[in-house]
Amino acid sequence: MPESPDETFDFADCLARVRAHDQAAARRLVDQLYPLVIRIVRSHLPRRVLEEDLAQDVFIKMFTRLNQYEGAVPFPHWVSRIAVTTCIDQLRAQKRRPEFRWADLSENEADVLDAVLTSENDVAANDAMAARELVHKLLDQLKPEDRTVIQLLDLEQKSLAEIREITGWNTTLIKVRAFRARRKLQKLFAELKRKERG
Amino acid sequence: MKPSPSEWQRLVAAARQAPPDADVSAPYGFSTRVAALAQRGGRGEGVSPFTRFSLRALGLAALVMAVTVAANFKPVMNSFADDVAALSDPVLDAGDSSI
Repeated sequence: MPESPDETFDFADCLARVRAHDQAAARRLVDQLYPLVIRIVRSHLPRRVLEEDLAQDVFIKMFTRLNQYEGAVPFPHWVSRIAVTTCIDQLRAQKRRPEFRWADLSENEADVLDAVLTSENDVAANDAMAARELVHKLLDQLKPEDRTVIQLLDLEQKSLAEIREITGWNTTLIKVRAFRARRKLQKLFAELKRKERG
Repeated sequence: MKPSPSEWQRLVAAARQAPPDADVSAPYGFSTRVAALAQRGGRGEGVSPFTRFSLRALGLAALVMAVTVAANFKPVMNSFADDVAALSDPVLDAGDSSI
């Protein structure tokens, strides 16, 4: 996996020590996996939730379920599944998704959206940050599972096989979710175009 | 209307140009805190909301019971004392035997 921070890290040895209640090994394991977990958390962060709190929940789950890890998949993959499901659970818990409105966009975000809707040209490179914020606001409109798929597929450009490893979902399910997400985004763009910039 | 996925694709292509998160290392003390929490059994991990609610309800019920007993202790004890006194009243005993 691209996020794996250190290919040489001996997970098997570290896990054996953690299971023997070695606190230092537990700390090393957290430090080693933090970049992987925080990237997933940041890309799926629900509103009003602190990324550090969510990352902590992921690691606590990892430690409490450690006995369930049988080594069928690499340990970072197993942890990334926990991270993804924890984020999805958090997103589900929020139930209501905020309405996407022109009025709630910053000036830069509105400019980028305007450019995307009215012109065939690519968005300017210096608008990348605004585009990213806008993408996250649009992703907030999707169901948590659909959002995860489209985030991994389109934004992070992962392959279906990689998404299968990260989420544990089968290829058909991933494709169905991607289709559903894109259709919803298509409707959203049509709606935004109809309303125009206020 | 031009095909909308291209709008999404152009937007997402621009978003991908944004610089990646610079800092992805754990904040100071994070791993120590998490490892300690994990050893203690986590932040209520494994305890269902129903169990937590039940434990709170049990505590509240115990408190209400204690307050009720404290408030009614004297009248109840007086009532017991009256009953005991009535049972061992010699006048009543005498009256009973004369019948």
